[in-house]
Amino acid sequence: MDALEKIFPANDFALLAVIIGMPLLGAFVNGVFGKRLGKEAVRLMALGALGISFLCSLLAFALLHAAQSGGAEGSAEAARFVWHGWEWLGLSRAGEATLLNGGGAPSMLQLEVAFSIDALSGTMALIVTGIGFLIHLYSSSYMEHDAGFHRFFAYLNLFIFSMLVLILGHSLPILFVGWEGVGLCSYLLIGFWFDSEANARAGKKAFIVNRIGDFGLLVAMALLLRYTGALDWDGMASGSRGLLTEMRIWDGQFFAQYLPDSLSFLTQPRSVSVATLVGLALFLGCAGKSAQIPLYVWLPDAMAGPTPVSALIHAATMVTAGVYLVCRMAGIFTLSPAAMFVMAFAGALTAFFAATIALVQRDIKKVLAYSTVSQLGFMFLGVGVGAFTAGFFHVLTHAFFKACLFLGAGSVIHAMHARIHDTDASQDLNNMGGLKKYLKVTHLTFLVSVLAIAGLPLTSGFFSKDEILYSAFTRSVVSSSSSAFAWPAWTGGVLFSIGVTSAVMTAFYMFRLYFLAFHGEFKGWKIVAGWKEPEHAHDHHGHDHGHAHGHGVLEGPVPHESPWPMTLPLVVLATLAAFGGFLNAHPLHIIPLEHWLEPVFEASVDASRLHTSDPDGALMLPLLVPGVLAFVIGLSIAYVVYIARGGAPEKALAARYPAAYQLLFDKWRIDELYDELVVGSLEALAEASVWVDRWVVDGILARLTAMFVTAWGHLLRMFQTGHAQTYAAVMVVGLFGIGWFVAVPQPEAAVSGDAATGQYAVQAAPGLGYSYRWDSDGDGTFDSEKFGTTGQVTLTLEEGATREVHLQVKNAFGRVRSGSFEVTRPLHDASAPSADALPPGGARPRPPMLLPRARTAPGTGAVADPSGARALQPVQQPGGAQ
Amino acid sequence: MSSLSDTLEHYVLLSALIFTIGGVGFLVRRNVLVQLMSIELMLNSVNLLLVAFNRVHGENMAGHMFAFFIIAVAAAEVAVGLAIVLSYYRLKATVYTDEADLLRH
Repeated sequence: MDALEKIFPANDFALLAVIIGMPLLGAFVNGVFGKRLGKEAVRLMALGALGISFLCSLLAFALLHAAQSGGAEGSAEAARFVWHGWEWLGLSRAGEATLLNGGGAPSMLQLEVAFSIDALSGTMALIVTGIGFLIHLYSSSYMEHDAGFHRFFAYLNLFIFSMLVLILGHSLPILFVGWEGVGLCSYLLIGFWFDSEANARAGKKAFIVNRIGDFGLLVAMALLLRYTGALDWDGMASGSRGLLTEMRIWDGQFFAQYLPDSLSFLTQPRSVSVATLVGLALFLGCAGKSAQIPLYVWLPDAMAGPTPVSALIHAATMVTAGVYLVCRMAGIFTLSPAAMFVMAFAGALTAFFAATIALVQRDIKKVLAYSTVSQLGFMFLGVGVGAFTAGFFHVLTHAFFKACLFLGAGSVIHAMHARIHDTDASQDLNNMGGLKKYLKVTHLTFLVSVLAIAGLPLTSGFFSKDEILYSAFTRSVVSSSSSAFAWPAWTGGVLFSIGVTSAVMTAFYMFRLYFLAFHGEFKGWKIVAGWKEPEHAHDHHGHDHGHAHGHGVLEGPVPHESPWPMTLPLVVLATLAAFGGFLNAHPLHIIPLEHWLEPVFEASVDASRLHTSDPDGALMLPLLVPGVLAFVIGLSIAYVVYIARGGAPEKALAARYPAAYQLLFDKWRIDELYDELVVGSLEALAEASVWVDRWVVDGILARLTAMFVTAWGHLLRMFQTGHAQTYAAVMVVGLFGIGWFVAVPQPEAAVSGDAATGQYAVQAAPGLGYSYRWDSDGDGTFDSEKFGTTGQVTLTLEEGATREVHLQVKNAFGRVRSGSFEVTRPLHDASAPSADALPPGGARPRPPMLLPRARTAPGTGAVADPSGARALQPVQQPGGAQ
Repeated sequence: MSSLSDTLEHYVLLSALIFTIGGVGFLVRRNVLVQLMSIELMLNSVNLLLVAFNRVHGENMAGHMFAFFIIAVAAAEVAVGLAIVLSYYRLKATVYTDEADLLRH
């Protein structure tokens, strides 16, 4: 152990790279070379990679345990091993966070690819790699005859890699990489059999619903970066004071002038603490990933993927990532009682509603899916009231029994495929029954898991669920500030009642599932391919068949037990489901898990924010009674309905309340509601966009422009006769024009100057062979009799003065023409800025301007012109040849 | 020779006259063959001018050289031009330029 601690020091724990890297290697090899390697090699690669990863996780766990228990008894410190990979990116950052740091200069945010393992993530990594290994083993047999064998294992390994990145990431951005990675793998694996439209749609739905949650996570990251100044666990913890800042989220002043006084609650400015915003945004992310209200709709559809995928991703690991995130960010969540309140209630309601839906589903995987949603609700109920260990314990036990249930369901479906190769029919509970005769191991393990999830005392589900219920009743999150949101007194009772009701329903629907699948008579004989239930039309046929059946005549192949790679994981998981509860058996005071995780939460959570109404545990045993009663009641009802009366009461109830039954069967029509609200409004938006596109963009912008261009084209085309002679004639005209311009001198000049200083320059336009003669002082006589090459004169004017400058130009043919230009300097008037746009002393030089050819006598606009530099009108004088 | 330099103006005037006849002929006639002849007239008027100027400013033979050059170019031009006229005739069965408005399209 000492040698290992030397090889892997706590601040450079390279073992993490092995744990994370192996599944990535497996994914790479299987993904790129899998097709050529063959099934044996693919299996070896996938299982080997995960096996090594699991062993390394065990080793890391052992080292962690040694480090954590190394200190003096009772003062266990949270041990954490970090492995720094490489620098990812650096952001320069300025703003609020630096104020908290004492108003220093803007600092850099260094993001590095670093991974860390502590008690929480170590336990989670063990779940992921351990259960992941079992499910890989199971899949190697379950998927044996699938053409996409190597693809499946590449995705599965990639999933494990992403999940490990999520768990072990040392900062939120790294976690987010894994978070997106598992989302991608979930999408790929739900749509694994993508040639079916429904599967592809389910994959898309999962991905898109998760995007909404990821948006929340991104917003939370941005807020955290701004208000804590860091994104790694330590930095966020040390900067978490900044989250107590109040933020104005509703100004209301804008509406005050429009709304009557009776609506004054709308016009009050509202503030919440940043911690609440962060908590809610994070919870949105968790709700997306962990299928909580309102984003749970994707999980049941995700059952379109292969069953091992449902077990691994959509029951045991990925969907618990939200709970893991809440535990990881416990210190930040507990800063906001409001966010925790929302989370606890969302969890409780999810547990309740999902359980009601699971009561009536007929598809074995759908029942398990809603059961998963419901159990996830329990977990959020637990962490929502601040019982992080209890919530995480339920993650652990749920991973055991739900993975076992899903794998058992896979085994059942596998057996049903002996009768029919149809996804829906092979998963329909109505086609099962009596399977315990054929699937002995599956039956036994399934029963154990059902007992565990239903809460048989001393099983794992009993302990974890009852601890959550107990915590829901007794615990709450409080704030030190009196103005913050405080939990109402009734919260504990309400949460507890919802939880117990859900627990009753859980016991009922799980036993319903168990009785329908494994007890009674096997109804699968009739479902050979193409066989239709002859309920009404072919009564006599059905009678014949029933007759044959009654005599026990078997038709076709018999359902059979699965091979050992499938049953071994079942046995292991069932054992864990049965005895895993003793990891944290509070009523028996055997709580190694609590001791193990305690340092993590103690370090991050401010203990004064967690309040319990039952500090000495006096209520613990009394509150066990409702939990045990829930189990007994659920079991009894299920037994009476499905064994004693053969399912008749369910049919009677369904017939009596068809609307309610159908509503439950249609999952409260939440999907339809979302279709109407979200999809419908988006489609309406799309329709409006189409209308705008068709009439505004296409109609006005495109067509009108085109018509305009076409009209001009028609006009201009008249000049394009296509006759070479016309062009030649135009050319001749042009030549004459140019010739005339060259032959006649052009007396033109541009005046530039500065009104502030009074310096003006008159620049004559240049020309070939031109010579000039100026009268710059305006006295009517030229400055010199001879023509010279001077093309410019300068003059200085007093304020308000006007001068007329004369110019004569002679060209190479000796022709002379005259022009005169009036230059005016305006009166400077500081009190009238509109009359003089130029700032005093800062006059801009105006660009020289070529004046239009003179046609008229001098104009009078000179004085009105504010800049004074343009006030010229050349005067044409008849010039004569000399 | 000096007598010629006295009458250089006459050559220039004659050349201008022939050029104008050629130019106007090119512009107003519709028969391609006549237009080609008009172009020849313009070219030859320039030739005449070049030769006449060369006679007056006879330091080198640049004017003559240009005249020969122009004759050669004109020959080539006529060869190409007549070929175009021929194919145009085959296409449209006419040599009148009214119909030749393919440039428009």
